[in-house]
Formats: sequence, structure tokens, C-alpha cells
Amino acid sequence: METIFQSVFSGVLMGCIYALIALGLSLIFGVMNVVNFAHGDFVMLSMYFTFWAGSLWGIDAVLTPLVTFPLLFLFGVIIYYGLISRTLREHYTIQIAITVGLMTFLRAITQLVWQARPRALTYSFIQGNIQVGGYVIALSRLVSAIISLIIIGSISYFLNRTWPGREIRATSDDLDAASLMGINYQKTYAIAFGLGSSLTAIAGGLLMTFQQVDPTMGLRFGLLSWCILALAGLGSLPGLLISGLIVGVSESLAMTFWDPRARLLVIYLIFVLVLWVRPRGIFGRK
Amino acid sequence: MSNEKILTASGITKSFGSLIAVNHVDLEIYEEEIVGLIGPNGAGKTTLFNLINGLETPDQGEVTFKGIDITAMSPHKICQLGMARSFQVTRSFTQMSVEEAIKVGAYNRKNEKEVQEKVEWVINFFGLEEIRDCKCSDLGLASLRKVEVARATATEPNLLLLDEVAAGLTSAELLKLMSELRRLNKEAKIALCVVEHVMQMVMSLCERIFVLDAGELIAQGVPEEISNNQRVIEAYLGRGSYGKTSSAD
Repeated sequence: METIFQSVFSGVLMGCIYALIALGLSLIFGVMNVVNFAHGDFVMLSMYFTFWAGSLWGIDAVLTPLVTFPLLFLFGVIIYYGLISRTLREHYTIQIAITVGLMTFLRAITQLVWQARPRALTYSFIQGNIQVGGYVIALSRLVSAIISLIIIGSISYFLNRTWPGREIRATSDDLDAASLMGINYQKTYAIAFGLGSSLTAIAGGLLMTFQQVDPTMGLRFGLLSWCILALAGLGSLPGLLISGLIVGVSESLAMTFWDPRARLLVIYLIFVLVLWVRPRGIFGRK
Repeated sequence: MSNEKILTASGITKSFGSLIAVNHVDLEIYEEEIVGLIGPNGAGKTTLFNLINGLETPDQGEVTFKGIDITAMSPHKICQLGMARSFQVTRSFTQMSVEEAIKVGAYNRKNEKEVQEKVEWVINFFGLEEIRDCKCSDLGLASLRKVEVARATATEPNLLLLDEVAAGLTSAELLKLMSELRRLNKEAKIALCVVEHVMQMVMSLCERIFVLDAGELIAQGVPEEISNNQRVIEAYLGRGSYGKTSSAD
């Protein structure tokens, strides 16, 4: 019983970070309908940046998003104007080819720069454990989950209550109608893509407080983001969070009671099941 | 009609493949006037609207708005210059509330501080108080059309293009809409160009009417001239129908 609780709780904490990663993808896919296969590799890249900042300059992993957030935002904007904006009116297979190409490119670059072996940071000031009623909770995971929730809340506020946020939602609803309201959709798309990318910077920083990174990690994060998005459907932020928790807990339970190597299998199984049984997601609109 | 020209389209042509949707059309609209654009189904009215507000670019000809060449300008810039439109098939922001959708329009001219005041003015003007918190996806057709006009008005245009706003309205709703459009024209000094099938509305609302048939402008003039124009009657009712009363749809 204790093991189940421990496993579920650990899954819940991971699920919050997963939801944050998926939120980035949801901004990109939900707003401009671009299938970004490189999203998981943005997370991987952010983790390497965090590793770099930590090992070269001794910046704590929790604090690196202060630097990597604007960096990844800029990266996203450049990718948008350089690659994505040219393919908006093309067939979606071209977008897939472009983002899969980007994914391969990022993977190859990281293998060249950082080699294939896993890298980790040795220290973060949110390390250590706390004990709650006999259960042991890793402080780094707890703090990461809390920061993820705060960021998700802020993004929700940004989308619902601010001018650029409303522009993003209006554009995602109806591109032409938004243009006729004076909204420059290219700019709105660039902001959405930049923001979607920069959320991976926060997730990457948080993950590095308790995980190692290797160049193939992008696959896992990409897959689980798509799985969460498929579960949540588009347009529901609470749905996204709950789906993140479902994926996190399933993964954790699979690792505890089956085999740690089964984590990807379980995620993919959920993905396929959702697409099969309920393609519009559990919480999605329309 | 001592006002200045606000919009001039000269010789604009647009083909889709072998179909010439709009063929060498000239038209001009003056400040603060109400003009109508009529014609049978498929005459090219909506395409002409798309060419004017930048959703499509003409193959030939040019469009000038307030003295500025807007022929190849993108729609958001044209909107910022002061032209807005509503759609024939309503295209509301489905996930937003009525108030929010109007706010999106109001941001075109207003900053965060002034925007709420504009939104209140628009909601009050169109009498949308009761549905302001409703989601657009929950509204009926009549309300949706009104919200679209309200949203377009919130961008503070000088010229408003209305694509079949009266379609599907009951006669009571139609009368209410017409009086609102008249007030909009008089009080907010917005020039209106309405594409319409409902003749009752066009004839009583518009000062001048343009008639489009198979992509060509076949007549223009005041409502009395148009309703007695033989080519217009033929276009609507087919040849040999001269003398019968005209009514479209």
C-alpha cells in the first residue's frame, strides 16, 4: 500500500512537469495547427543548456530558466520565421518533414557537442528529501512540480486576460476573422511558437535538478507531450493538467510494478488507446 | 454627397482557374454613405469584398482606401487603416464570450486602459447586455450576426463591409438591425457597404446601389433607378421577365 502511494505521488509530481511540456506543444499545435515533432528535442536542448550553465558557470539548475527562457523564446521565433512560416500554406506532410528534419538535426548536433553519454548536474539547492507522515518526498521533485503549476497558471492568465493572449486565442479560433480585427497573424504565430518553445526551457531546468540528459531523450518527451495532448484534446487547460497527471502516474506505476524499461510502452499504449476510442480527447471541445 | 471618396476600386479582376469571378469592376464609396451591393448568387459579391479588404489579391486593377494603395496590403493592416467587415457565414471566436470577442476588435485602436470603455459603448449600442457573458458557440444565428457587426464596429472603422447580415433574420429582427445600422452610420459616421439579398433592406437603407452579375458591374444608381433597370431585372429573373415585380431569393 505504501509503495502504491509513493509511486502515485511521485507520478503526480512528474505529471505536473509533463503538463508544462505539453502546454508548450499545445500552444504550437492548437494555435497554428503545426505538428511539431521536434518539441521533445527542445526539452532535451534546454536540459543541455542547463547542464552547460551549471557545469561551466555554476548556475543552479532551478535558476537557469532565467537565461534559457528568453533564449528558447528567441530560438522558437527564429525557427518560426525561418522554417515554419514558409510552410503554413503547404500540405501538412511538408510541415512534418520540416519538423522531423529539425528533430534529427538537433539530435545530431547535441551528439556532436556533448557526446552520447548521459550528463547530469551534481548539485542543486533544492536537493534532499522531506518526510511527510512516513513518506519520503524528493524536495527537487516537489519544488519542480510546484513551479510547473505556477507557470501553467501564469500561462492561463496570459492567454485569458492579456492582449497578446487574446490575440493568440482569436487567431487560433479563426485566422481570417482575426486578421480582419487588425491582428497580424504572423506576429501572433511567432509569439505562440516562441512561448511554446520557451516553456521547455523551464521544464528542462526543473528536470535537470533530479535527472540526467542524453541526446535521445527528446523522443520520450515528444511522445508523452503528444500523448497528453491526445488525452486532453485542444482548448482545455485543466484537461491538460489532468492528462499530464494521468500520464505521469501511469508511467510511475509501470516503472514500480512492472519494469522501469516499460515507461515508453505504457505512454504509447495510452496514446494509441485514446486515438482509437476517443480521438478528440477526453476534455477537448468540439 | 459633398463628402470625399473613401474607397476607390478601379478595374479589379480576379479569376479562379478559368472562372472569372470579378471582371473589371470599378466602384467608389464616399465617406459616411450607405451603399448596397446586390446581384444573384455567384455574382462575385463576396469575392469583391475579399479583394477589397485584402483576403484575396486582385489579378488586375487597384484598390485605394483613404488615398492609400491597399491592393496588395495584408488584411490586418487594412483593418488598422480603418476598414472592417463581417462574414456571410458567421465566423465568431467560438471559445470566447461575447464581451471578449468584442474586446479583441477594440484592441485594434485602444490600449488596455481605454479598451473596456469602448467595449461598453459597443455592447450598449447594439443592446448586447443580456448576452455579454455568453459563449459565442452557444448563440443563435441572429445574435451571432449582431456580435460580428459589433466586433467589427469595435475596431473603429470608417468603412464597414457587411456581408449578408440580414440573412435568416425575422422581419422584427431585420427592422431592429436596420435601425441600428442607420444609427451607426449617422452617430459613429461610418460608411457602410452592404451585400444583401433582402431587397426590403437594401432599397430602404442604401443611398446608392451597385449591381453585380456574373462578375461584372451591370448597373449602379439610386434605389429607384435600380428597381426599374431592365438589365437588373433580367439578371435576377432571367430574360423575358421584364415588367414583373423584382424580388430576389
